[in-house]
Amino acid sequence: MKVGEQLPKFAVPSVDPARMKTMAAILRDPYRVHWDREATREMGLEGRVINQGPLNLSYIVNMLHLYSGPTSVRRLTVSFGRPVFDTDSVVAGGEVSAIDGDRVTCAVWLKRGDEIVVSGTAVIDVAHLH
Amino acid sequence: MTVVSPLGYRFPGGTYTIAHWENWLLTDCTTAEPLPDDLAHPVALFHVPILGAGTSIATLFEVCGAEGPGSVGLDGYDWEYMRPLRVGVEYRMEGDIVRWEQLVDERGNPYDSMSFSIEMFDAEGLAARITNTWRFRRRKPEVLAGAT
Repeated sequence: MKVGEQLPKFAVPSVDPARMKTMAAILRDPYRVHWDREATREMGLEGRVINQGPLNLSYIVNMLHLYSGPTSVRRLTVSFGRPVFDTDSVVAGGEVSAIDGDRVTCAVWLKRGDEIVVSGTAVIDVAHLH
Repeated sequence: MTVVSPLGYRFPGGTYTIAHWENWLLTDCTTAEPLPDDLAHPVALFHVPILGAGTSIATLFEVCGAEGPGSVGLDGYDWEYMRPLRVGVEYRMEGDIVRWEQLVDERGNPYDSMSFSIEMFDAEGLAARITNTWRFRRRKPEVLAGAT
């Protein structure tokens, strides 16, 4: 593990609108843009529903799990730049930016093609990897 | 639309226990396989603090004057985990709205930026802490004047 190391990518080839509906139920999220195509037609988005922000972030979390395991995430600080729509193909990635003992800071992102739609930093605990 | 500032709005507080079925479905939504050892998927740190604090997305929309499809946006999250979240553990939550600013975006459109923070405790103490920032877009005054 060293600064500049690339994290393994986590790809979602096609964002699934059915999963958005389940997610809306779990979150008790009444925001229609996640499950009602009429709501996004009203917005001029041709009826494509918008993925929940937590789901976009979850792809980054899954990427971190591939790298350092399911108990490693300690902090996520992210900004949401652009919406992700159903059937979009997105890929989560990251790069080690700092190492302080067992705490490793990574730049993280979610991309649609070359466009960054979510970006930020993650702190992971790698003590269990030693 | 001018909304009365909800700054300082305190959530009722309460407890929440992540259920196995809930975590299974949540993890499936992320396209990942279930995690081992009763680990909850870390993205549970979105809905668990909100619901456990005795509020909801609907209530937050109402308090902040959400105006319909496209009027609410996410700006950012800052989530801290003191230790991994677990299924079946009772968490106690407390929190409030900590920031409210009237701003204008790069296109000159007005919006209110709201941040809320919630702390989550288990039997050992502080287990996690979140600060989420949401954007509530407002129609320009000239649009409102022309609306029927």
